[in-house]
Amino acid sequence: MGALDGLMQGFQVAFSLQGILFVLIGVVTGTLIGMMPGLGPISAIAIMIPVTYGMNPSSALVMMAGVYYGAVFGGSTSSILLNAPGISGTVATSFDGYPMAQRGEAGKALAIAAISSFVGGTVSVVLLMLFAPALAQVAVSFGPPQYFALMFLGLTAISSLSEGSTVKALISATVGFMVATIGIDAQTGTNRFTFNNPNLMEGVDFLVIALGLFALAEVCFLVKNRKDQSLSKQGDIGNLRLSKQDFKEMKGPMTRQSFLGFVLGVLPGAGATIASFIGYITEKRIAKKPEEFGKGSIKGVAAPETANNAATSGAFVPLLSLGIPGSGTTAVMLGAFLVLDIQPGPLLVTDRPEVFWGIIASMYIGNVFLLILNLPLIPYIAKILKISRPMLISLVIIFSLIGVYSISFSTFDLYLLLLFGLLGYLMRLFSFPAAPFILAFILGGMMEQAFRQALTASGGSLMVLIEDPVSIALLSISVLSFIVPIIRNRVRQRADHEGTEQ
Amino acid sequence: MKKLWMLAALLLLVLTAACGGGEQSSSGDGESSEDGNWQPDKNIEIVAPSGAGGGWDTTARSVGKIMEDEEIVEQSVGVVNKPGGGGAVGWSYINSTNDPHNIFVSSPPLIFVPLNGQSDLTYEDFTPLSNMIADYGAFAVAKDAKWDNLNELFEDMKEDPSSVTVVGASSPGSMDHMQFVKIAKAAGVDIKGIKYVSAQDGGALTQVLNGSADVYSTGVAETIEQVRADKIKVLGVTSEERLDGEVLSQFPTAKEQGIDATFVNWRGFFGPKDMDESAVTYYEEKFKAVSETEEFANIRDQYGWDEMYMDSEEYQKFLKEQTDELGTLLEELGLGQ
Amino acid sequence: MLKTMNQKISIFLILFASGYLYLTYNLKEYPYVPVDSDLVPKLLGYLLIGLAVLLFFDKSSETEEEKEKRKVPGKELLVLLAVGVMILAYIFLLEILGFLLATALFVFFCSWFLGYEKWKSNLLVSLIFPSVLYYLFNYLLQIRLPQGILPF
Repeated sequence: MGALDGLMQGFQVAFSLQGILFVLIGVVTGTLIGMMPGLGPISAIAIMIPVTYGMNPSSALVMMAGVYYGAVFGGSTSSILLNAPGISGTVATSFDGYPMAQRGEAGKALAIAAISSFVGGTVSVVLLMLFAPALAQVAVSFGPPQYFALMFLGLTAISSLSEGSTVKALISATVGFMVATIGIDAQTGTNRFTFNNPNLMEGVDFLVIALGLFALAEVCFLVKNRKDQSLSKQGDIGNLRLSKQDFKEMKGPMTRQSFLGFVLGVLPGAGATIASFIGYITEKRIAKKPEEFGKGSIKGVAAPETANNAATSGAFVPLLSLGIPGSGTTAVMLGAFLVLDIQPGPLLVTDRPEVFWGIIASMYIGNVFLLILNLPLIPYIAKILKISRPMLISLVIIFSLIGVYSISFSTFDLYLLLLFGLLGYLMRLFSFPAAPFILAFILGGMMEQAFRQALTASGGSLMVLIEDPVSIALLSISVLSFIVPIIRNRVRQRADHEGTEQ
Repeated sequence: MKKLWMLAALLLLVLTAACGGGEQSSSGDGESSEDGNWQPDKNIEIVAPSGAGGGWDTTARSVGKIMEDEEIVEQSVGVVNKPGGGGAVGWSYINSTNDPHNIFVSSPPLIFVPLNGQSDLTYEDFTPLSNMIADYGAFAVAKDAKWDNLNELFEDMKEDPSSVTVVGASSPGSMDHMQFVKIAKAAGVDIKGIKYVSAQDGGALTQVLNGSADVYSTGVAETIEQVRADKIKVLGVTSEERLDGEVLSQFPTAKEQGIDATFVNWRGFFGPKDMDESAVTYYEEKFKAVSETEEFANIRDQYGWDEMYMDSEEYQKFLKEQTDELGTLLEELGLGQ
Repeated sequence: MLKTMNQKISIFLILFASGYLYLTYNLKEYPYVPVDSDLVPKLLGYLLIGLAVLLFFDKSSETEEEKEKRKVPGKELLVLLAVGVMILAYIFLLEILGFLLATALFVFFCSWFLGYEKWKSNLLVSLIFPSVLYYLFNYLLQIRLPQGILPF
């Protein structure tokens, strides 16, 4: 009965006038900061920490949690409108969100993102409430071999992220992986490919790659078509009306990805990014019309947005019930707890039930607030696209530059951003897809570390990678998912071939 | 095309103007008033050579806030993040601006990073101002592990050092690795045989909890809650004497287990090299004042830090000892440069 | 010899991979782990060479659509180059002039250069936009953007 009492206490905290007020402040701040290109939940939380000095811990943490998922919620905006993902969890959203916006359906894309975020957020809070203490065991069940298998599974997505040539997609991915090897190697402390430049020792930041390959490369194309005003003339871009058919399409991805995203979020280190990518590709795999993905598919926006918000709630499991921060963002969040003299960990639920359950209960209200706040704002936000092209180009460039500057505070990273912008432009000119590049960049580094951690512990025996049922299962799925589309293509090609010959 | 040329000309103009302006503005060296007392004449800037949210950032921000709130410093105090290179980017920034208004916060990486050949700047390129706090390392194992104290662990490791996997958050040659190496060496373990795995993002604790690794080398604060929940047990801590606190006081030191070695995770403030004597005195006084406030005592308690104030001269001596000691160890491992 | 674009890219990639591999063979050794820091990069280097060879012999020629995308008129290239130079100048001046001035100049000239003709509203945007951002970052978010030569 303890849990139920605790939950009641939590709801009392969350539904008190003060609770509601701070949730509101949190989600508004979070979503606004998240919308800024380049500013993600890490900066949002770090920025808000000093505000909480001396506040009542439950109110403060309810607010901080709101800042966190609010920032993830708002993060999709710049991905969709400007192709400028500010956090790694929304990269997958830009694959279909941006094409939709280009088609003049920016309002619709934003509405889909908002609704699926809301569904993902809410379903996962229910899961969090029911299973948080029980899931603690799941969160620590993954060791290096299992992480290796999971990252491997994520990487096999490359084959399904490519539209044209598979070879080109694989080349993109290999180069992306190579960029991930730059920096001090964690397992040995060796300087890899840094040319003794201290700016490179911690590796190339994700944001430099994402804003370079996506936002700046896009700017180059906008420059070429700057006189083409068709986009702003086209219909009502702020229109967010969704048809029954649209909802029907969203239903499947939203249901599945709420669960899948949550489970992946529970695993420390995996989090929103992997959840959004895996969500995107599973939906593409099982879709009846996979060819629509990448060209502005509704499912392609709904899947990653549901998954990344569900994963965000999932990330609270290891944080609250174990005191393990699974990502850079939750590590800063842990800092926010410590400032308030609250130690997350296995005892939090018994020591401070009002905090533990208060945070969870507040997420219900938070998600509702986010939806109510975001939907009416969409027509105004979408108007960004009405800005005349020359001006929009200048502003996007500044946003990208300042986004990078506000995390690294060095002009070196800005030059690097420009370099990756050029690379992204060239890649697009020669039809090398950028998605495999960034996917391999994110997952490759983690996969290499997991691989080598496993082998150090096993003393060099490769058997450690296939000793456990979870890793075997994950690796088998990866191999299958890599081979099946190739065979399917072959068969299809052969059929086409025979068809034409006859 | 005409536009292009005009633009180029304009940019050139701006550029020349800018360079002139830049030189003028960098002349604020602070005022040495008649009696030789240095006073800041503009805002003080504390550099945290890391991103937002880390240990350096937290220290810098809390000290900055107390300086302002308690009116210890008349000027305003801003915190600037200069992440990169494990600190090296921030250090070279201080080194190049060379302005007594710009100071930075640091800890043992200032010794490790140069020793590992990852930065050309060492502590000798800066002026140690004051040390503020001390933190200590802890070695923890899963609660059902077969070892109950450091000696049992090290007995096994003496027989076969590779039978035990140690996990920490930093890369080899840096803090979590070297604090373990230092204590193990004093206990007589062959330090070249130690298996060390580095895991970020909470991975280190996870690996000990699920049995992927055996020993978790970390800071004491990270272990408290897990010990209270009976998930792990702490075999030893690296402080000289037992620490204060309900849980902390239960942790045996390595020293009381007969292993004569300690490791301090110190944290303090530095300025650029060749700082004026009076400026050093100014900062010493201010940091001493911060260290004595009730607010800072609260912050220390919250994060489980110990008070360890050192003035510039003591600090210098302390750093020299630390560098010699750790340099020898790294050399023995073949990691030193 | 190098007839198709794919072959040219392939040669470039092989050169790049060779350079990368050269660096991997010069990585410092670390004796205490079974898999040293050079293994994965080496695999990647050889993988890239292998893929580049595949690309070299990739018979599927570019589709018309892809060729169309690649055609960039010389004049447009100059415009892109000019924007690139403006960004370079901005990065260079950011910490010298400060965020406010550099951004105002960049927004004004870049928009004007790209054909934004309403100079009054251009002036307005290039003054208000940086000011709002600067206020937001420095005062509300406590993220310090370069102050530069202005006193605030």
